[in-house]
Amino acid sequence: MVLGLSLPELIELILKVLIFPGVAFSLLFAMIVIWFERKFLARIMLRIGPLHVGPINRTGLLQPIADFLKLVQKEIIVPDNAHKFLYNLAPIIAALVSAMSVAFIPYAPKPGGGYWMIYYTPLSLLAILAIFTARPFIMVGAGWASNSKYCTIGALRAALQLLAYEVPIMLSLASIVIMSGTFDLARIVEAQSSIWFIVLQPVGFIVILIAMMAELGRRPFDIPFAEQEVVFGWPTEYTGAQFALVMVSEYFDLCAATSLITVLFLGGWSGPAIPLLNDISPMLSGIFWFLFKMAILTVIIIMGRGIFPRLRIDQLLDAGWTVLIPLAIIQILITLFTAQWWLPLIGGS
Amino acid sequence: MTEKSIEERIIEDVKARFPEDIIEAKVQRKSRISLSVKSEKIYDVGLFLRDKLGFDHIASVSGVDYITMNEFEVIYYIWSIDNKVLVGLRTKIPRDRPILKSLIDLWEGALYHEREAWEMFGINFLGHPNLSLLLLPEDWDGLPPLRKDFLLPENPQEKLEEKIKKLSGG
Amino acid sequence: MSVMKLSMGPQHPITGHFRFILDVDGDLVLKLEPDIGYTHRGIEKLVEKRTYLQNLPVIERVNSYCDSLGTMLGYLEVIEEVMGLNVPERAKYLRVISAELNRIASHLYFLCLTSVATGLETMLMWPINDRELILDLLERLSGQRITYTYQTIGGVRFDMPDGFKDEALKRLDYLEKRLEDYYKMLVHNHTFQLRTKNVGILKPSDAVKLGVVGPNLRASGVKVDVRKDEPYEVYDRFDFLIPTGKNGDSYDRVEIRLKEIEQSIHILRQALKDVPKGAIKTWAPPIVPKGEAYSRVEAARGEFGYYLVGDGTMKPYRLKISPPSFRNLIALPHLCRNVPLADVPIIYISLDLIPMDVDR
Repeated sequence: MVLGLSLPELIELILKVLIFPGVAFSLLFAMIVIWFERKFLARIMLRIGPLHVGPINRTGLLQPIADFLKLVQKEIIVPDNAHKFLYNLAPIIAALVSAMSVAFIPYAPKPGGGYWMIYYTPLSLLAILAIFTARPFIMVGAGWASNSKYCTIGALRAALQLLAYEVPIMLSLASIVIMSGTFDLARIVEAQSSIWFIVLQPVGFIVILIAMMAELGRRPFDIPFAEQEVVFGWPTEYTGAQFALVMVSEYFDLCAATSLITVLFLGGWSGPAIPLLNDISPMLSGIFWFLFKMAILTVIIIMGRGIFPRLRIDQLLDAGWTVLIPLAIIQILITLFTAQWWLPLIGGS
Repeated sequence: MTEKSIEERIIEDVKARFPEDIIEAKVQRKSRISLSVKSEKIYDVGLFLRDKLGFDHIASVSGVDYITMNEFEVIYYIWSIDNKVLVGLRTKIPRDRPILKSLIDLWEGALYHEREAWEMFGINFLGHPNLSLLLLPEDWDGLPPLRKDFLLPENPQEKLEEKIKKLSGG
Repeated sequence: MSVMKLSMGPQHPITGHFRFILDVDGDLVLKLEPDIGYTHRGIEKLVEKRTYLQNLPVIERVNSYCDSLGTMLGYLEVIEEVMGLNVPERAKYLRVISAELNRIASHLYFLCLTSVATGLETMLMWPINDRELILDLLERLSGQRITYTYQTIGGVRFDMPDGFKDEALKRLDYLEKRLEDYYKMLVHNHTFQLRTKNVGILKPSDAVKLGVVGPNLRASGVKVDVRKDEPYEVYDRFDFLIPTGKNGDSYDRVEIRLKEIEQSIHILRQALKDVPKGAIKTWAPPIVPKGEAYSRVEAARGEFGYYLVGDGTMKPYRLKISPPSFRNLIALPHLCRNVPLADVPIIYISLDLIPMDVDR
């Protein structure tokens, strides 16, 4: 008995942490999304995107892996006046914190009861929220530690933006908690077994989608990384493997964010059973639907980069405070006052 | 009696206002007037041109080095948007004392033009707020380059190598 | 927070070869001072050493990658005025055709830079793509994509090849349809309007006082265009409008260049239809007699002024070049006072300043 777990439980934990939804899945998600983003945006811009690296001709499937390997072998340059300890620690912490969020998300129900998630807790929603709230501090720490004017400006912008947009996220999460009556993500998915929350709370869905784009630093909200003004914002000075870690942590965040929205609004793993996958294990069908919904959200979030210019920081804060927060509050009020109509629709207990 | 063209009318007005200070005034062609004035009076003539005759859009300030006659000629080209006429307000200043009153109070756009004329010819514009090097490198120590006695080096590559050697310590 | 001196140096993704020294307080820019001269080549001194014909490639490189034909036209105008040379009709039409094609290519390049400044990468790729069509046409005409040396003293160097007219008209039709896409994607994009409306408003009286030229002046509402005020070559035979803007903000400056592309297409269609037959070049003597002249042409960025003093030899005594970007440069410190830092690239790009033009 190790860590209070029996042997099958231990093997299951190792599988979860290493393969799905742990290390291997996160890295694979990052690689696939990076490839897809480059190809998709290239087609929008009348370009072609990565072409050569990879097994299938003219698709460049292994391009992200090639980039990662290239970055890892480059020299790590630490600026002279940087605060060395914090500077070297920040990318590692960024990647770890971003990767940690997937530990609390249930991906599928296990056939014998329980859920396929790395760590089950009845307060999983609060845990993920806490992790999201930690991100601005890492950015500010890295920006300050780099000791460069561009990094300082970029870090301040990142902090302003992220702190402003966390309030709409929390408000729309509050609306979900009111409706489902629990902080447990697995129970929230169970509560959507007859009808998804996106139908009952469409305003909340839009609010959280836009606010998540701002949290992730995606265009039109990518002011912290505004290349044209502050060269690259808070990660300007990072090179080599540290740069790779910063980049990949952005995609870990994307994975966590889309998983969270899927669980909260799109019914998680619910969907019609797929015959082929069901024969191997009934869990795979649920995982398939989960990944499918994540993919749709990813495409929507990526498309913003091809269509919108960047907003200015004061316009962005305006939008956050004067538009999104009132909408989220309206959603909460609607949820409270229409309780008698949606209470019978909530499944589970 | 043919009607006077706008250019001729402008010249008449200027000559009537400044009878002794205009050295030469002529119509070069359609929409081109040339006015040559004494260098002390250039500000007053400019003021008259801007306020009474509508010359408001400054086009360029150029210097010419007439080394054989030992003088600089400074020409202000100003365009009148309403009359569609370009006037070349010119004056000659001695080459060994090139001083001229700056006209940036009349035409704000002459700021960078006069600064460039200073750095290229060495003409001192009195009243200009910032006569410092604009286009030339910060360590320029030679003659103002557009003067005729500034000769382009015959073999610039050698000069550059000398300079690099000097800067890197012999 | 104390005032910080930020240097948007010559190695910066948005400034090209300029350097700006900004006084920044937090996110607010208090003062901007341009530090120019990084691409100064001393062209005004170089031309005094070379004959008029040898100067053609030198003058072209005053503004090589954007608008070299507009640059050249002024130089040729001033020489031909001092010489008293009459250029044949066909040459004038060909000059106008090549200059207008170059103007379209230059404005398309401006659209790319505008999208880079606001962060819309899609509109960076589309105009560059379409600019290839125009450069292709110019390559058929002159053999070069960017620095053409197509116009020469007395006319043009090469004649229009067969099939050029039809090919050009076909491409202009395609470009006109494409402009609708640009309107939808860039100009009527709500986020783009948020970034550029009421940013960098240049009042008409200020614009005239500062000596601003070109589309920047027209966007402020002042209708000044050398092609209409002082028609040169055969511009007086064509029927085209001069678009003007209403507010003089950055949005107007971008929109007016799109409208100018439309007008250029209109001029090109008329010119291609009416090109007369005849010689493309008349013999020009190598010696320019004693005399002076000042010529003005409307390049893509504004009015290009040339002042030539000829002294009866084969080399110019003095050639003063007054490029539009140098005259527009003063608008930049004037507009960038007490603006947010994010507005500085927008204002700078919408003024369309090319470092090579400014420095010569």
